Amino acid sequence: MAGVNPLSYRREELFSAFLDGELTEKEADLVVELLEADREANDEFRGIQQVRRALRLLPELEIPGWLLPDGHLGDRLSAYLDGELSTAEQRRVSDHVVACADCRGELHDLDRARTAIRSLPNVDTGQLDRVPAPTAFPRRRVAVAGSIGIAAAAALFFVLALGGDPQPAFSLDDLGSHHIARASAEPGFAVFPPVVDSSP
Amino acid sequence: MADEFAPSWEDVAHRYGRKIYNFAYRLTGNPDDAADLVQEVLLRVRKGLSGYRPGSFEGWLWRITRNAFLDGVRRQGRRPESALPEGDHHDLGSSPSPDEVLASVRLSDDVQAALLKLPYAFREAVVLCDVVGLSYEEIADATDIPVGTVRSRIHRGRNMLRELLTWPV
Repeated sequence: MAGVNPLSYRREELFSAFLDGELTEKEADLVVELLEADREANDEFRGIQQVRRALRLLPELEIPGWLLPDGHLGDRLSAYLDGELSTAEQRRVSDHVVACADCRGELHDLDRARTAIRSLPNVDTGQLDRVPAPTAFPRRRVAVAGSIGIAAAAALFFVLALGGDPQPAFSLDDLGSHHIARASAEPGFAVFPPVVDSSP
Repeated sequence: MADEFAPSWEDVAHRYGRKIYNFAYRLTGNPDDAADLVQEVLLRVRKGLSGYRPGSFEGWLWRITRNAFLDGVRRQGRRPESALPEGDHHDLGSSPSPDEVLASVRLSDDVQAALLKLPYAFREAVVLCDVVGLSYEEIADATDIPVGTVRSRIHRGRNMLRELLTWPV
């Protein structure tokens, strides 16, 4: 529609504010008038409407819990000890640890566990030939690092020491866990348990 | 609206932490930057609460948030117009593919990628309005610009997004 625009802006600029309920009644009337008279303006209005809807439908992301005052660092602590965090993350973790006694305690425990695990003697791979192939147990990953390290090793030790399977057949992975559990509890413990002949 | 009392630092973290995180994430497209900003803002809030005088708490908080964000950008020596993160390009501006099964998932990625293409002033106005949910007056208060400018920036920002985005039929 031709004519002099008495406003200092395109009337289309009112579309967003119209949708946001931020116009005076007079301005809102201008928008309605424009939409009734101008087809192109309608296209622009619908486009703005779609964009606004899409922006408002963007998922609201959860804030990482450890950023909150009572949040804790969880598995970031192990990554922190292992130097696997970015510089920014490392700084955030250390800031949090300074302020949070729970995480400080957990970091201390993890550090001790990590040191204990790392100080274990190396396995003599020459003896691996004597380990029978897994039969009874499904293969498991050796989960010794991280926050569950000590708890998992202790639990496994009890299972092994207090009579789990009467005829244990160690898979390589179980052997690793067994070794760590026993070695943590008994400094003089031999690296390999006696080999059990599982053949019929 | 004037607030009678300033909340505690912990209240601010719980009540506004998520909003601040989303504000920063939508401005930068980067979760690390968003986490950094939350920490920085909460630190500034903690330091500043004792000097806070009853007034518009949200205005005060968003001014702090915005300043912290811009300081962070300056410290990192980059312009707030961040580059698109890798793997976040979805043929902006081109025709949608025939297969629109994942359209709804891709849509938010597309919107995020398009947001990052806007000049900072427009992106900020749009994010404060549509993501954070502030009124034009609150945005004007937080950004220290006139309401008329806020109105214009929001509209122009959305209009740029309209041109950057193509919609599934």
